[in-house]
Amino acid sequence: MSHAHTPGNGGAEHPAAPTVDEITDFEVLEIAVRELAIEHGLFTAEDHRRFTEWAESIGPAAGSRLVAKAWVDPAFKERVLKDAVKACKEIGIDWAEPTGFGTPSDYMNLRVLEDTPTLHHVIVCTLCSCYPRPLLGMSPEWYRTTNYRRRLVRWPRQVLAEFGLVLPPEVEIRVEDSNQKCRFMVLPVRPAGTENWTEEQLAEIVTRDCMIGVALPRPGRTADVHPMHRARRPVGSSRD
Amino acid sequence: MRESESRGTPPAAAGKARFKVGDRVRVKDLPNLFYSRTQMYVRGAVGTIAACTYQDLIPEDEAFNRDGRIEQYYIVRFRQKDLWPGYPFDNDTLQTESPERWLEPADD
Repeated sequence: MSHAHTPGNGGAEHPAAPTVDEITDFEVLEIAVRELAIEHGLFTAEDHRRFTEWAESIGPAAGSRLVAKAWVDPAFKERVLKDAVKACKEIGIDWAEPTGFGTPSDYMNLRVLEDTPTLHHVIVCTLCSCYPRPLLGMSPEWYRTTNYRRRLVRWPRQVLAEFGLVLPPEVEIRVEDSNQKCRFMVLPVRPAGTENWTEEQLAEIVTRDCMIGVALPRPGRTADVHPMHRARRPVGSSRD
Repeated sequence: MRESESRGTPPAAAGKARFKVGDRVRVKDLPNLFYSRTQMYVRGAVGTIAACTYQDLIPEDEAFNRDGRIEQYYIVRFRQKDLWPGYPFDNDTLQTESPERWLEPADD
C-alpha cells in the first residue's frame, strides 16, 4: 500500500527512509483486531507479548531431531512420510499446541520431502512466507524476500549456487512452492562419515538451511560452528 | 492423507476426488476475482498429480471468511522446461498445490 502525499501533511514532502515501508492493510487489521480483543478482555497485552516471545523463540531444533530420528529409524521415517503431523508427536511436537487449532502454524498439514542421491528438494512460498513453524521456528529473513521467492522457482540452480550449493545436472532439483495449506520440510540424505553416530550427534549437523534445502548436512558443520572470517582491518584498528 | 483440521474449517464435504496420483492435468487460466492462490506461472501448464492432499475451503472463499466451497486439493508436479521457455536442465521439476477447480484433464 503506498499512496501519494495527501494535503494532511501540510503539503510538505516527507519521503520515508528508503528501507521503511508504510504499514500494510494487513498490519492495520491485525492491530485493530488485537486491540479490540484486549479491550474486550479476551487476552491481555502481556499475554500477547508473551505468546509472541514464545513463538519467535521456537527455533529449528525439533526439525533437526526429526531428521536425525528418521535417519536411524526406518520405521519412524515411514511414519513421517505417511503422516508427518502425527509423527511429529513422537518427537514431542504437537502441531495443535498451544491453542488447539494449529498456532503457531497457520495450518496443520505437513509433508516431509525425502531427498535421494539423485533428487534434491528446496522449499519456497512464492505468495508470502509459508513455513513449517512448529518444527523450524520463524523463517529466516531472506526466505520472505521477493528476491528469493520469485527467483527460486525460475532459477533454482543459480539461487542455490548463491547459497554455496552447486549440484550436478544429473541431480533433479525439485522446487516445492508451498502456496496453499500444506507446509513442507526437506529430509536430506544422511551424509557419509556419520556411521555409528548417535541421534544427538546427527541432529547437530542438520541445520535450518538443510531442512529448507539451500544446504546439505556435512560432518563437522553445525549451527554452533560458523566459518566466520575476521575483519582484516577491524573498526578502531590503527592503519599503520 | 487424512482430512484437514485447519483453522475454522468445517468437516470435509467435497465428495470424491476427481483426479488420482499420476493423472495429467492442465491448470486453468481463470480470471482472478478478488483473491487466488494459483500462481500465474503455472496457468495453462500441464503437469502430473503427485499427491491428493486434503479437502478444505477454497482460498477464493476462505479469504473472506465465507462458509464457502470445499474441494479436494492436489500437489501437481511440473517439469521446469514446461513452465519456463528455454529452461536448460531436463531433470528439474517444481511442485505446487491447487484446489480441484483450477485443474482440468490434459490428454497429451
